Amino acid sequence: MISVQRRSGSSLGWNITCYSAAMICAFLTSAALLTFSGGDPVKAFSALLTGAFGSQNALYGSLAKATPLLLVGLGTVIAFRAKIWNIGQEGQVFAGAMAAYWMSLWVAPLPYWLAWLLIAIAGLVGGGVLGLLAGYLKVRFGTSEVISTVMLNYIVIYILAYLLDGGPWMESGLTVAYHQSSPVNPLLEWPILLGQGSGKMHIGFILALAAAAFCAVLLERTSLGYEIRAFGSNPTALRFRGTNIRRLLLVVMLLSGALAGLAGAGELFGTSHRLRAETLLGIGSSGIVVAMVGGLRPSGVMLAALFFGALKSGAIYMRLKSGTPAGLVSAMEGLVLLFFLCAAVATKLQLVRVEEKVHA
Amino acid sequence: MVRPVVVEELLKVRNLTKRFGAVAANDGVSLDVRKGEVHCLFGENGAGKSTLSACLYGYYRADSGEIVFKGKTAELNSPADALRLGIGMVHQHFVLVSNFTVLENIIVGSSDVGVFLNKSEARRKVVALCQECGIDIDLDREIWQLSVGEQQWVEILKALYFGAELLILDEPTAVLTPQQSDQLFRIISGMRSRGLSIILISHKLREVMQSDRVTILRKGKVVATVETAGSTAESITALMVGHKVTKHVRDRSVMPAGEFLSLRNVCAKGDWSEDVLKDVSFDIAKHEVLGLAGVAGNGQKELFEVLMGVRAASSGGFSLDGEAIVAPTSREMLDRGVGFVPDDRFLEGLIPEFGTAENLVLGWQRAPEYRRGPFLDRRKLGLLARKKIEEFRVVTASADLPVERLSGGNAQRVILAREFLHARGLLLANQPTRGLDVAASEFVCEKILEKRAAGFAVLLASEELDDLMRLCDRIAVIFKGRIMGIVRPEETSLLDLGMMMAGDAKEPERTVQ
Repeated sequence: MISVQRRSGSSLGWNITCYSAAMICAFLTSAALLTFSGGDPVKAFSALLTGAFGSQNALYGSLAKATPLLLVGLGTVIAFRAKIWNIGQEGQVFAGAMAAYWMSLWVAPLPYWLAWLLIAIAGLVGGGVLGLLAGYLKVRFGTSEVISTVMLNYIVIYILAYLLDGGPWMESGLTVAYHQSSPVNPLLEWPILLGQGSGKMHIGFILALAAAAFCAVLLERTSLGYEIRAFGSNPTALRFRGTNIRRLLLVVMLLSGALAGLAGAGELFGTSHRLRAETLLGIGSSGIVVAMVGGLRPSGVMLAALFFGALKSGAIYMRLKSGTPAGLVSAMEGLVLLFFLCAAVATKLQLVRVEEKVHA
Repeated sequence: MVRPVVVEELLKVRNLTKRFGAVAANDGVSLDVRKGEVHCLFGENGAGKSTLSACLYGYYRADSGEIVFKGKTAELNSPADALRLGIGMVHQHFVLVSNFTVLENIIVGSSDVGVFLNKSEARRKVVALCQECGIDIDLDREIWQLSVGEQQWVEILKALYFGAELLILDEPTAVLTPQQSDQLFRIISGMRSRGLSIILISHKLREVMQSDRVTILRKGKVVATVETAGSTAESITALMVGHKVTKHVRDRSVMPAGEFLSLRNVCAKGDWSEDVLKDVSFDIAKHEVLGLAGVAGNGQKELFEVLMGVRAASSGGFSLDGEAIVAPTSREMLDRGVGFVPDDRFLEGLIPEFGTAENLVLGWQRAPEYRRGPFLDRRKLGLLARKKIEEFRVVTASADLPVERLSGGNAQRVILAREFLHARGLLLANQPTRGLDVAASEFVCEKILEKRAAGFAVLLASEELDDLMRLCDRIAVIFKGRIMGIVRPEETSLLDLGMMMAGDAKEPERTVQ
């Protein structure tokens, strides 16, 4: 007889087995979904692969797509490790992009490096302040951050709609609103490090990698990281032991929002070069998925972001090449998340062969 | 007429062995439980009592050995199997639906409930059970309205409703006040006279002495099974630890001197704005242990919280080493060298997911001595953990094993190690021996006396009056948030203390040392 039991420690081999099985399951289910919706899975997946890794430019495009996901994912990790359920990444990405755009309207006369720095900081501050606001509501009034962050998403997204749609940031020289701003000053665009044409990787990717290293060190090595992890496990004990947990909660929300805000700024100045809701929508929610699939560890989030970046990048090509509806890619994202969550549970279990009892 | 076969032995366990990795938690355990018997399992933390009971109610499968229930070999693959046979378990932590009524909680999951609940039939059955066992409870109240003691009755009723003939109670009084414990034991004797058998897991000698027989476990093996009537508390303790336990007594040649902590008219509100502390005043000198006696829930917890700066005093205040403390925070109190052993160790004292090493610096994670630049000095933490694990005899697989996987006694040792390391001057200990076995609690007492000798002022709240009598220089009795009096143990009997704990005021002693 075989029984399922909790395992006492973790084993690398078993972890790899579980997550590989999750990948395979997600892949097969996606294939089934494609078939049911009338597509050809072989054609679609080969298009997906080509789009993601088929050429150097495709590869750079995938890295560019991974950049905001990694940043948002890291911000999510900081909050979720403290069991603070910041799910307002969507709005924080918007706020970061908007703050950065606003900053870009002022800094053009400054030296490039200073202007660039100020724009990046504005992105961090924009997202951070929005996170901080939700944190303040929780600390001051006990508002659940789940509710407040989601509600703030709507507020920020509609503020942007107002600003772009007849508001001060509407594309100049037009009478009909296209729901977008004028292009940012080309002098202020973030430098492209690799690639050209459709696949360009901007400096944000390096920033995101640095942020991953920063978060890993922060969480595992510093006193603040200790407090963040402790808060997630038992905030009461932390409060009894001399930590100001209100301040800690604010710091966590600030950091979490700031990373999402930087993602928004990078997307605006590195990729789209124009403030427009469609280019930012979905980054926040995908970033949360990336964080969960990455097991709330910076290293895992890095792998997950690269994977989902490739998925998103390849999806564009897949849609063009095989006519697969874009919605299927979101469904695939969801499937990967579901199976990875199952795998995360499975890694904590083991199958044990139980000897039948021999009666004396 | 067919006479039922008389089964004198309801449960027979033969050579039961259960291993976890290399460790045999139960090693060839044999045990008989008679019908209508209260059978106590007694042993130190980690002696294998919980594992044995887990095997009996089907949570673990024994590696080898045999369990015979009512004359038949029992195949227990799950708690449901055990319950079907008639073995019920009441855990320390209750498994109840808090917004269901008592009746609903009792009948939920029973097989005779169809799509529609037949509550009137169930009610008749439960009422009959209550009468037989002497349980007085309103079946229509919701769980959240009940006291902890009453919730435990619901757990017991649930097991009986399902037809349990053998009931396993795992440290049932750990969460109860003394009165609730007395009520529980009345219910237990009611069940016994009804012919039910009860396995009682307990650390407390007072409870052990109320059983019919005691099986003593040590390191996974049965040391002996003895008739309680023919034994003494001392002989049972000696069997448990394998040697005589020396009870430490305070050194009377060291006299308290020099007022250190001084409270004046401290009042405080509880979580629901009720008055929980009323005009609490007392002083503790250096080299002094002040006991705080009282039934749980009379303001002890809130008093400690005020002194630790996590609950604001609504009026009055206190001073430490001559300095008035105004609007303190827990940070300030830690920095002033106050050590605190909370009564709820996993909730207030530890980060369950952290290992021993990280928990040893909880509250001091920003202290320069544990840092190297902006980073926590892991190497230093590791060394510290190894030293403290040895000094405080913490049983753990490694310094990084999450403390949630340690036994209560070992978790307490981690807290003590941390507090004794960092405290300078004042030690606040709320129920530090709760849930600990005899040897472990003696270890705690010994450490507290060490601090007294070193010149600490100690505030020690405990429900173990015997401990207070031998450790404390003076004992303050608290009742409904008020200090009923401060007495000297050598001038007071346990009876007097008990009277004061029940609210019978004595002229408060006014000698300040």
